[in-house]
Amino acid sequence: MPSLDSPEKETLEEVGLDAPWNVVVHNDPVNLMSYVTLIFRRVFGYSQRKAEEHMLEVHQKGRSIVWTGEREKAEFFVQQLHSHLLLATLEPAPLT
Amino acid sequence: MKLQAADDGSLILEEIPPFLFHLLGEIAGRAASKHPRVETRFFPDPASDEELIKDWKSLVQPELHAIFQSAREIVQADLRGASGSKESLRNMRIPQSHGDAWISALNQARLAIAEESGFDEKDMVAEGEPDPEDPRSMTLFQLGFYGFLLECLVRMQE
Repeated sequence: MPSLDSPEKETLEEVGLDAPWNVVVHNDPVNLMSYVTLIFRRVFGYSQRKAEEHMLEVHQKGRSIVWTGEREKAEFFVQQLHSHLLLATLEPAPLT
Repeated sequence: MKLQAADDGSLILEEIPPFLFHLLGEIAGRAASKHPRVETRFFPDPASDEELIKDWKSLVQPELHAIFQSAREIVQADLRGASGSKESLRNMRIPQSHGDAWISALNQARLAIAEESGFDEKDMVAEGEPDPEDPRSMTLFQLGFYGFLLECLVRMQE
């Protein structure tokens, strides 16, 4: 199983307060697929289908960007995911 | 052991053999492991930003500790309420309102066991009867048993 990827190291100052941030969930071999799907539904309010899509992306590709938006809210989501023992990190979203 | 979803949303466990009840009794202890790998797994860094990590450790992690401990305490209280004696088959009920605590504690225990024992994905999908003479095989059985119960509780939430 892939190890936890290191997010790109950028500081808040470099990225800017308004720049979007990604909430990334990383795979681990222990969490049950049904459990991960349930947590995505609860934390983000996703439909069963969308939650399963993200769960499968985590399982198959090792990680999934489950949410993108303002930093404060992204930190809140990471905290929520950690409270459910999902491996989640915060990283700056690439600027387009 | 028989499992039944009650009309009120609780999960009823009946005729739990002594060995399985013993494993249920180990959930909290397993989950509360202080093994360094378990600590790292339970409290991962949220990013590579040093300042955020520092804040996370001082502000978020104590809250996470409390959440995890609270779930374990609810599980222990439910187990104390089980009927039957040490030698007999036990019966117990997981109220709907305790479902999340059980899900959390079972998940904690599974993650802690996997970290302590160094189980990988190949171990997780291995099939076959557990070998009572092999501690690693029995630990894997314990992990699977918790996974089975966790799956039942997750399904009940859907």
